[in-house]
Amino acid sequence: MTRVTDDIIIRTVARVIIPFIQIYALYVIMHGHHSPGGGFQGGVILGASFILYLLTHGLEEAKVRMSEMKAGLFSSFGLLIYSGIGLLCLILGSNYLDYGKLSTILRVIPAQARSLGILGVEIGVGITVMAVMFSIFFDISTGGTIPEDEENLREER
Amino acid sequence: MNNFFLCLGMGLFTLVLLCLYRGVLGPGVLNRIAGICAIGTKTLVILLLMGFIYNRVEMFIDISMVYALLNFIATITAAKYLEIKGEV
Repeated sequence: MTRVTDDIIIRTVARVIIPFIQIYALYVIMHGHHSPGGGFQGGVILGASFILYLLTHGLEEAKVRMSEMKAGLFSSFGLLIYSGIGLLCLILGSNYLDYGKLSTILRVIPAQARSLGILGVEIGVGITVMAVMFSIFFDISTGGTIPEDEENLREER
Repeated sequence: MNNFFLCLGMGLFTLVLLCLYRGVLGPGVLNRIAGICAIGTKTLVILLLMGFIYNRVEMFIDISMVYALLNFIATITAAKYLEIKGEV
């Protein structure tokens, strides 16, 4: 799955198409509250762009852009955004994830604060879903072991 | 005009069922891949027809674009699998 091949057509097409996929994913995340889509769907598209990169450019180049550690950090960071916005609403004296109270911090009317709050939560969900999708595919394609780890194990034996 | 789109969608749906038969039971990997790719293309057109029926094409065009994109990635993955396996 992760062997590098000299497919110039596939590599060129992927290089051209990946930025458009990512911009489209950002559009889906941003327009989540008045068109189909949202955090999860946008995150899946964003993850698909990274998966396409891993498929076409091989494991070594993909690890430079998005390593296993970065994927873990991103997934925790997105969860932190989500729960942080929820806890902020709790601290301000309303229910968990009740964005109306955010209007006192953002200095806008409550309706606008609700719109901005759900946007922040969707960004968090999108980052988490992207990282977890990539992490799952990474684990499947390496069979749970990273090639250089295997070499180290062989040397120890 | 709605009836026309509806009939077109139902016709495509029968074709999807035929492709599904080939995708599930088809002998060999190549038949399955061809069947699944055909299903993806037909689903895209059915989604657009649904958009015409409900008068919200601009909403359904988003979904069908995602579908086309994931179909493209699925095709590349299947081709990669066949290349590494080295046989059909």
